[in-house]
Amino acid sequence: MTLSLPGAAAPEAETRLGFWPVLNDVLHQPSALAGLAIVTVFVLLGLISPLIEPYSVHEATCAVFEPPSWQHWFGCDDGGIDVFSLVLRGGRISMIVGVIATFIAIGIGATVGILSGYFGGWVDTVLMRITDYFLVIPQIVLMIVIAAVWGPSLSHVIIVIGALMWTSTARLIRAQVKSLRERVYVKRVEALGASHFHIIIRHILPQIGPLLVANTVLAITVAIFNETALAFLGLSDPTAITWGTIMEHAFDRAAVSSGAWWAIVPAGVAVAVLIMGCYMLGRSIEDGLNPRLKVSYLSLHGWKLRPLVGRGPDAI
Amino acid sequence: MLSDKEFSLSSAFAIQDLNIWFGANTGNVRAEFHVVKNVNLELAPGERLGLVGESGSGKTTTILAAMGLLPANAEVSGRILLGGTDILHGGEASIAPHRWKDIAMVFQGAMSAFNPVRTIGWQIAEAMQMHGVARGVAMTRRIGELLELVGIPADHAVRFPHQLSGGMRQRAMIAMALACEPRVLLADEPTTALDVMVQDQVMKLLVRLSKELNLALVLVTHDLAIVAQSCHRAAVMLKGEVVEQGDVGDLYHRPKHEYTRKLFEATPDVFTTPEAPVRTSPASKKTEPASPLLDVRNISVSYPRVRSFRDMLRGVEPEASSAVENVSLRVDPGEMVALVGQSGSGKTTTLQAILGMVKARAGSIHLNGRDVTGLSSGQWRPLRRQVQMIYQDPYESLDLRYRVRSTVEEPLRVHGIGLTAKERDGLICAALERVGLTPVERYLNRFPHELSGGQRQRVAIASAIVLKPELLLADEPVSMLDVSVRAGVLELLDELRTDARMGILMITHDLSTAAHYADRIAVMHQGRIVEEGAAAAVVRSPKADYTRALLASIPHPDPNRSTLADLST
Amino acid sequence: MRGSAYIWKRIVFAVVTVFVALTLNFILFRVLPGGPVSQISRVPNASPALKQALTAQFGLDKPLWEQYLLYLQQTFRGNFGVSYMNRQPVLDNLIEAFSNTIPMVAAGTILALTLGVVVGVISAVRRGSMTDHLSTNIAVLFYAFPTQFLGMMLLIIFAGVLPSAGMNDPFAIGGSGWDTFLDALKHMVLPVTTLALTLYAENALIVRSAMLETLGEDYILTAKAKGVPRRRLIRAHALRNAMLPIVTMVAMSLGAVVTGSILIEVIFSWPGIGRALYTAVLKRDYPMLQGGFLAITVVVITFNLIADLIYYKLDPRITT
Repeated sequence: MTLSLPGAAAPEAETRLGFWPVLNDVLHQPSALAGLAIVTVFVLLGLISPLIEPYSVHEATCAVFEPPSWQHWFGCDDGGIDVFSLVLRGGRISMIVGVIATFIAIGIGATVGILSGYFGGWVDTVLMRITDYFLVIPQIVLMIVIAAVWGPSLSHVIIVIGALMWTSTARLIRAQVKSLRERVYVKRVEALGASHFHIIIRHILPQIGPLLVANTVLAITVAIFNETALAFLGLSDPTAITWGTIMEHAFDRAAVSSGAWWAIVPAGVAVAVLIMGCYMLGRSIEDGLNPRLKVSYLSLHGWKLRPLVGRGPDAI
Repeated sequence: MLSDKEFSLSSAFAIQDLNIWFGANTGNVRAEFHVVKNVNLELAPGERLGLVGESGSGKTTTILAAMGLLPANAEVSGRILLGGTDILHGGEASIAPHRWKDIAMVFQGAMSAFNPVRTIGWQIAEAMQMHGVARGVAMTRRIGELLELVGIPADHAVRFPHQLSGGMRQRAMIAMALACEPRVLLADEPTTALDVMVQDQVMKLLVRLSKELNLALVLVTHDLAIVAQSCHRAAVMLKGEVVEQGDVGDLYHRPKHEYTRKLFEATPDVFTTPEAPVRTSPASKKTEPASPLLDVRNISVSYPRVRSFRDMLRGVEPEASSAVENVSLRVDPGEMVALVGQSGSGKTTTLQAILGMVKARAGSIHLNGRDVTGLSSGQWRPLRRQVQMIYQDPYESLDLRYRVRSTVEEPLRVHGIGLTAKERDGLICAALERVGLTPVERYLNRFPHELSGGQRQRVAIASAIVLKPELLLADEPVSMLDVSVRAGVLELLDELRTDARMGILMITHDLSTAAHYADRIAVMHQGRIVEEGAAAAVVRSPKADYTRALLASIPHPDPNRSTLADLST
Repeated sequence: MRGSAYIWKRIVFAVVTVFVALTLNFILFRVLPGGPVSQISRVPNASPALKQALTAQFGLDKPLWEQYLLYLQQTFRGNFGVSYMNRQPVLDNLIEAFSNTIPMVAAGTILALTLGVVVGVISAVRRGSMTDHLSTNIAVLFYAFPTQFLGMMLLIIFAGVLPSAGMNDPFAIGGSGWDTFLDALKHMVLPVTTLALTLYAENALIVRSAMLETLGEDYILTAKAKGVPRRRLIRAHALRNAMLPIVTMVAMSLGAVVTGSILIEVIFSWPGIGRALYTAVLKRDYPMLQGGFLAITVVVITFNLIADLIYYKLDPRITT
């Protein structure tokens, strides 16, 4: 039962289905706007970082662990390299790693989820069993093992993260597609004589599009996390500059005991701000898609009384 | 012990000048909707009042206001009188003490209204504990009494909601409403999701309780026939206003408001079925060759149970549950056949088998003389042009992202009909005109949410007939529509039958509709067809016991022809 | 009783998953090109005698399936091989490492769960209020900080105030039992805080949205109509139902617990399983790596099974 509250509430909920209406709706929320702004700034900085890095990221330009100054905004690391330039360059590579790994993961996850949810039966059973195993096996440990066996390299990191991170996407998409598959309009199109391909491309994919976007944005946070974790454990390419390796180097070269917080804080805060941005954006889209969040029977305020107008003893 | 309340002539419950507004924030614009306007209702103890209206008329909002359960964006004015005292004046604070103790509610859809992880007994007990009505052993005993009062064995108190059938859940909901011996009971569409026979039982129960306990009962429903059979008086709501109120007999025989008359006219009446269907079958039927459009012979369909791990260990094949057993059907061109049955009777499965969506275990299906039994989905695809389907819920059956034009165009694209856009446009417009969506230009570029339920169903029908099929399968085509637009859609199907000579197989749970529009009726029960024959014959002289029971449970819109309960007291 | 079928199914699934992990382990280390055991030469400082011993131990001269059987047999006997590093049986190393990890991770996880549920419930029932905005944004902030970053920040901030490395003070030998206990407790503060902070945020966000979903259910309105007061409504109806998705999602975030504890053990030099894994990677100690992977996997699978059983207890609707 849904209480059909007359007025604008009911029809409005139905219009929020296509991709653009959802996006339009979501972008009216301040948190989504803030998230989008953050992500945009980071992407722009990543694109133009080689142009705006004030110093070289390979050669020493100042003293070891020099504190922040007007010349070196974020100070210098153990090799006398400008931290601001490092963080800019690191962001570029971290984001590339995160995005490619995410696309691999979302690609596998969406394919598995759609096939499994749409066709059901043995396809579903086999694919979901595989997914369940991947889900239970602790991924970071498997990543460590694989990265250790294959040797440290950035492309290994990307493949390992991408190939192990798809399970939750597959689960989520499968559940969505499964319920879409039971929707009457999909049945109707099937009864019209449309092929499975037609139904998936024209009716299923557009419906899960917004969810897929939200999931991609949220998955980027996990990918970047995993990259920094792997890098921190020394399993990334030691010569590559990423946010993960910057923090790893700082930890390795005793930045903590020297009190050189500026060698750690910029990279860490950069990761945190980007992840917050992605999270706020992704979460807002996901929440906007969830009709169950629109009603609460436990609101802080109750209904209000309006003084009587017209007839009756209390008329004003 | 419950029934010896004093009978008083003064009003038990009254709503005076009730107005409700809902505020809505759409983007930056704050809008306000006046959804209930100056509603006045009054009930004496033991009196039953039907509050009738279509979806969005404000009837549910009215009784939620009386319970003080409106959402935060609502503003209310007016008075709710309980035995003469206004309980609304202090807002939530003044309603709360009376809620459930004096005025209780039976919610629509007992499945979601019960907490799924608590037992029925626990939830009934909670109501009593909250108001200090009973405790300890006395409470346990009272739960048993309440359940037995509504016809549930007392030991079912330990069951969870999902372990009860739909009818039982609704009864348990009624038992919970009665837990604190209220004087007023508000019932919100208490039988909507139930089959007609279960609906009949639940309504009889409500009427009996209202008499025994001297309860004032407000019955919110869209079904006039139920009100006619179970209530003394009725109030008809339209767009937030009570447009007419009075004795059910007066409303039926001498409706004053245009809308009331329309509602009664739209309520099909199985008992006034003419000897032959409304629009007599054209004589052409006799000249038709004997080859049927659809010929289903002795099909059986079964759903295999999923093999569990334990079955595997034991090496047992799970027994298949039979959904349809030995069903034969025949539809000729220009003929409408109704397949009538309750939910779970196998009628939808039969339809699925005809469409080739589920495999028949035995029997054969011939379409236009061609054997289509067991065709693969690839072989079926080109044949789908000949058989089109119309679904129950027009809110669900259209992709909300597609405009009307694209929805109707899609089948053409799928089957590669109409090479140019212009050619397709011609076909689309013709189909829309055929279903009465004129002028076509007004509808072509609309989205489903910009259409009413009836219009949506017409779009769905247009996208089915644009392929010019010979056979239409209609699955409860009007049951989700408001009463007043049902007739229009059914008339449209009827026209397709006579003008375009389509054969139509309509599934319905509603014998009245079937009797009015179909040439022949097949009654299905537990996977089998128990009776088949000309529509009038089935309704007037039913042969099967099941058909008779089904007929007996249909409420009659004329209050004088009591089928449901004896109102003489 | 169809419920027992569900329990059986989950147990069988857990057992099969352990086998999958075993096989994965075998393939990663033996079958894949570059697998360390197949390239014995990569074992650091391997003498010919060691090579011979290893060849015999792993049956490298036998066909693959026999190697697999041999490997399974050895594993079930608890023989994970000998660590290259300290020449101790891997099993002994693992047991020691786990006994160090468990108190720290248990304390951090329990703290994070409690905090997460409390904060999540409060922001859900006060949805849209200042409290909700504040606590949700703080949770998002802590969710966004990488674990190692939080750990390092705590190290810098509390340098000198609290012990920063290890489980106990090596120079404080001879103190009373109480002193040793206090010392251990002090050493636990920073790692446990870091773990709790990283984990509570995700839990709080999970609990909040699960609660919000149940608050829109019709039975909440029914309970409200019955006169159930707010506190009871939250506890007995909303939270009780929200526990179902919460259990599922907390079980799925077990991976985050593992990741977090590995990073924290590295940062705070905590001699647990995570640090053992880290050192094994650095020193290319493959038997340790293999054993550690297997052990953590079995632990995670066990906790998943426990979560399944809790779910079964909580949801009367489970039949298959």
